[in-house]
Amino acid sequence: MINLQDIRDTARDMLAKGEVRAVIGYRRGSRGMLAEPAFITDPAQADELVWDPTCFHNLSLYLVEDRKFLAHLRKTANAPIAIVAKGCDARSIVVLMQEHYFKREDVYIIGVSCEGSGVVDERKLAPRLNGIQATNAAFDGDDFVFTTAEGEKRIPACEVMADRCLECRNPFPKEHNLAFGEDKTGRKLAEPFAALTRFEAQGAGQRWDSWSRHFDRCIRCFACRSVCPMCYCDECVVDSITFPVTAETTADEKANRIKWIERSATRSENITYLMTRAMHLAGRCTDCGECERACPVNVPIRMLNNKMEREAREKFGFEPGASIGGPSLVATFLDTDPGDFIR
Amino acid sequence: MTKKRTGVFVCHCGTNIAATVDVAKVAKEMAGEDTVAFTQEYVYMCSEPGQESVVQAIKDNKLDSVVVTCCSPNLHEKTFRDNAKRAGINNFTCEIANIREQCSWVHNDKAKGTEKAIKISRSVVRRVNRNQPLDSIAVNVTRRAMVIGGGIAGIQAALDIANAGVEVVLVEKQATLGGRMLQLSETFPTLDCSQCVLSPKMVEVNRHPNIKLHTYSDVQELAGSVGNFRVKINKRPTFVDPDKCKICDHCTVVCPVVVPNEYELNLTARRAIYIPYAQAIPASFTLDEEACLGLNPIVCGKCKDVCEPDAINYDMRPETVTEDVGAIVVATGFDLYDQANMPELGGGQIEDVLDGLQFERLCSASGATKGHVLRPSDHTEPKNVVFIQCVGSRDPAKHCAYCSKICCMYTAKHAQLYKHHVPDGRAYVFYIDIRSGGKGYEEFVQRTMEDDDTLYLRGRVSKLYRHNGKVRVMGTDTLTGQNVEIDADMVVLALAMVPSKGTAEIAKTLKVGRDNDGFMAEAHPKLKPVESVTGGIFLAGAAQAPKDIPETVAQAGAAAAKVIALLSQTTLNRPPLIAKVRRSHCTGCGMCVEACPFIAIRLEGGKAVVNEALCEGCGSCSATCLRAAIDVKNVTQLQIHEMIEACLA
Amino acid sequence: MSEQQPYEPRIVAFLCKWCSSAGSDLAGVSRIQYPANATPITIPCTGAVSPMYILSAFNKGADGVLVSGCHIGDCHYIEGNYLARRKMHLTMELLKFIGVEQNRFRMSWVSAAEGAKFAQVVTDFVNDLRPLGPQDKLKKAVRT
Ligand SMILES: Cc1cc2nc3c(=O)[nH]c(=O)nc-3n(C[C@H](O)[C@H](O)[C@H](O)COP(=O)(O)OP(=O)(O)OC[C@H]3O[C@@H](n4cnc5c(N)ncnc54)[C@H](O)[C@@H]3O)c2cc1C
Ligand code: SF4
Ligand code: SF4
Ligand code: SF4
Ligand code: SF4
Repeated sequence: MINLQDIRDTARDMLAKGEVRAVIGYRRGSRGMLAEPAFITDPAQADELVWDPTCFHNLSLYLVEDRKFLAHLRKTANAPIAIVAKGCDARSIVVLMQEHYFKREDVYIIGVSCEGSGVVDERKLAPRLNGIQATNAAFDGDDFVFTTAEGEKRIPACEVMADRCLECRNPFPKEHNLAFGEDKTGRKLAEPFAALTRFEAQGAGQRWDSWSRHFDRCIRCFACRSVCPMCYCDECVVDSITFPVTAETTADEKANRIKWIERSATRSENITYLMTRAMHLAGRCTDCGECERACPVNVPIRMLNNKMEREAREKFGFEPGASIGGPSLVATFLDTDPGDFIR
Repeated sequence: MTKKRTGVFVCHCGTNIAATVDVAKVAKEMAGEDTVAFTQEYVYMCSEPGQESVVQAIKDNKLDSVVVTCCSPNLHEKTFRDNAKRAGINNFTCEIANIREQCSWVHNDKAKGTEKAIKISRSVVRRVNRNQPLDSIAVNVTRRAMVIGGGIAGIQAALDIANAGVEVVLVEKQATLGGRMLQLSETFPTLDCSQCVLSPKMVEVNRHPNIKLHTYSDVQELAGSVGNFRVKINKRPTFVDPDKCKICDHCTVVCPVVVPNEYELNLTARRAIYIPYAQAIPASFTLDEEACLGLNPIVCGKCKDVCEPDAINYDMRPETVTEDVGAIVVATGFDLYDQANMPELGGGQIEDVLDGLQFERLCSASGATKGHVLRPSDHTEPKNVVFIQCVGSRDPAKHCAYCSKICCMYTAKHAQLYKHHVPDGRAYVFYIDIRSGGKGYEEFVQRTMEDDDTLYLRGRVSKLYRHNGKVRVMGTDTLTGQNVEIDADMVVLALAMVPSKGTAEIAKTLKVGRDNDGFMAEAHPKLKPVESVTGGIFLAGAAQAPKDIPETVAQAGAAAAKVIALLSQTTLNRPPLIAKVRRSHCTGCGMCVEACPFIAIRLEGGKAVVNEALCEGCGSCSATCLRAAIDVKNVTQLQIHEMIEACLA
Repeated sequence: MSEQQPYEPRIVAFLCKWCSSAGSDLAGVSRIQYPANATPITIPCTGAVSPMYILSAFNKGADGVLVSGCHIGDCHYIEGNYLARRKMHLTMELLKFIGVEQNRFRMSWVSAAEGAKFAQVVTDFVNDLRPLGPQDKLKKAVRT
């Protein structure tokens, strides 16, 4: 069990000593019980930090934002930045470092282990609370405890936990400077890829029936991309509107942009976008589940990424975010890669 | 970007194209393309008048790009690019649309053929729209060569190159030059002494002012490409200074460690400090680090104590040497197929069942038995010897599918040698058929049968086992259809030749391909038999396929000639179709760096940078980059995008 | 275009210039007949095929996409086809996953010496595509 005070003390201490220029963590939000990302620079704010089952955001996104902002200001950081990271978040940070987005010494990782638990899935929780507003959520052993106007409500964690947490085998942030909580690597609350396996058991026709409905629903708001720490590209290949024009952009580069898809949110274009994104996340997505959570129209995006993750693991023995010096999935190969699909 | 003025030249190729493609329609459709300023059809575009008309049309119509819709670019891309140049425009703005091999010759429905020809042509027109004028890249050539492997192949290649005045670096894995040939006793078809012809060459290599020798060394890493390779070599320590060693042999007398002697194919033993053969080059002892009690005077130190010239140095460490060369010859040779794969023939566990090389050592005057054929188990003279051919060869189901080519000949030789050593002995040869193509080879085999009275039995041997101090040979004679049982004193297996141990690794390091059997692959089976698929790397000897000494020497000479020709140029022209980074899109993720098979990309200041001398233009980087931030010039993602569109319009 | 025209699958074929493109040349030289449905785009190596090309071809209305290169071990660039094998595997699995018929994407190894094989690969592909009918899952809706 993690003692929240330890996280707060660490943050306060490091800020006070000037060892880090900011701490990215979670604080209680304005929306009921939910936590929200917090960017703390003042030691006095350290006591605002929280750690509870609603800390679902992958904060590594803000490391990306931070770097982009510094680049925009043409500044270099004078001290590292500290970040509170769960198992999946820490793996994202590893991938970002693998891709040289920042250096190891630029980031101070305060790891938090999800231990035998995980974060809550609001969609699972809502019916259980029956419309009652909760003001606080807390871990308690195998349960989540919610404080509501009608008193405390205790629910077995597994019943309202996010699928990805149930399936997660690596709840401990292996890459860290300091870690809180027990290392329960290898725990198994549910079979990995369980939801995916269920879905895949259907025939191609049925799969298309569901996916075509999902693709039709997508409004191409790009929330999934915006919330994804791996989608840090300045220009997304399938969305040329984000094209960065900098001092060194040549006329040639401006003229030679490829319009792979149209901007209209029609099915074919949505598919091409979402499939491209899944391909781009293959071997990089660490299953933080944020894209799916952010989607306003419930497109089960995680399943696409999950599919790639499973292929990578089963066919290529690949684990995303395993180590900073590790290989990247699509830039490497093994002699044993399957080739029986090739004629 | 100003709009291109492209000329499209549609060839009829007599009726080769015109019969199944409506050429007029192709020309008309292309004329409708936005950037096409001129179209023309002609019956033979590659003929003299055809070519002239292209040149004229480019000049007259101020064209800046050309598409010729005709046969495969392998045939006339160069022709028409040269014409473009002649007409005063850049040759890389000319592209070929292949509407013959890929269209008219393979379809007979004219409507469909025409439709496809239009799609192909249109996609190439769209590609040319965005072609950049490019210049070939000239790179300086390093006038130095490397030979890997110091068997007869490597020795011959090194000498030939060095004698042409080019410096050669020869890298040999073992403690001595010589390879397998140094282990042979006498060689077919003349029965001249192997060492007597080889040793002078080894000495010549050692003394040659143009040859730098690295023995006991491995190639570790290769960077660069044709004309400019950089090779990292790991020199293992021998713990003996070759310049000081007097080969007095005092050290082996005192060394307490005894291990099997691999140079004698484990027929005898050697000490931890040893010299492979009396003729070894470099002429120096080697201390086997693994066998030695500890490289430590406190533990043993006996050899160091007795070494008068103080040549022994326990503190020697592996050394990494970097050599820059312009061309490489790979001559890493062969090994014999592992007997362990054949339990029915004893699996290597029966003492008096030998392989061919072991038998060579028994016959050799410098071998363990000083040239007396004695069987290993009891050192008696074998009176009955069975030779078995094709062991492991020509057996696609269980072993190697190919013929090892030389076993018929060396088995005949072995039978002769045996009879010369033991005139009253009996020699049997089991064979499938005799392949004795080669000058004087058939006559040699006939002599074995007739003059040396060897009994040739046609058939396979199914089983070998120990029986009353002998080896029971169970076989069949397929000519008489009878089972044959021989109690032999000794059996010699003509095992298949396989690529030498480590071939897979060295092939990977050098990035040269291997064939299905694991030998180094030549670039073309008929027309490029000594070239590897990688420019500037050549092959010689048994590393490429099983072969005997004359063939090995011939191939080594050929490889040397190729190297000399290559290195006689001061600069090489490389095609300019290489990768280019769009810096504004590159995030410096390094995935292209990881993907590039030629180590041609590095990150600098957070962006990918392509080394133009190393890039081969394969496009692996481009397909890997998530952001389309790196492209191969004139085959950019944007171009492919527009070609796809044209194919589906 | 008249409506009565029977359905003809439209294939985009990415051919490696060192082997499959040369193999298709050999099919031509040998006059081996095969259906005219595949339009070739010659690329330096299968390793240069971005998954984007596959998705884009379907998006632009291809009924099938073929990627063909050198046999494993024979890549002119040594490793390109190994990289392609992995990328194309992932692309194919993703397409299958959302319910695109498996037979719409095909990869083959065809060497410069395998003219007959090239013709066979295209013939088989066209035959496998016919029963599937036009591909409209990823195809851009045409503005009318
Ligand atoms: C039993 C037997 C009898 C034979 N009798 C005859 C005969 O009578 N007449 C005849 O013409 N032919 C004969 N041959 C064939 C002859 O041995 C070969 O043709 C010849 O040895 C081939 O020479 P090579 O240099 O290609 O290979 P090898 O002799 O195998 O030499 C290869 C060399 O490369 C070195 N090497 C290997 N890998 C590396 C590496 N990674 N780095 C550095 N160095 C490396 C090895 O240590 C070795 O020194 C016989 C063969 C056998 C097996
Ligand atoms: S999948 Fe959802 S979040 Fe992503 S663009 Fe579409 S609607 Fe937006
Ligand atoms: S989808 Fe791909 S290109 Fe777009 S932002 Fe994400 S990683 Fe970058
Ligand atoms: S893969 Fe693309 S973004 Fe990454 S370093 Fe290479 S060119 Fe830059
Ligand atoms: S095209 Fe790209 S991957 Fe290929 S050699 Fe050049 S830089 Fe390397």
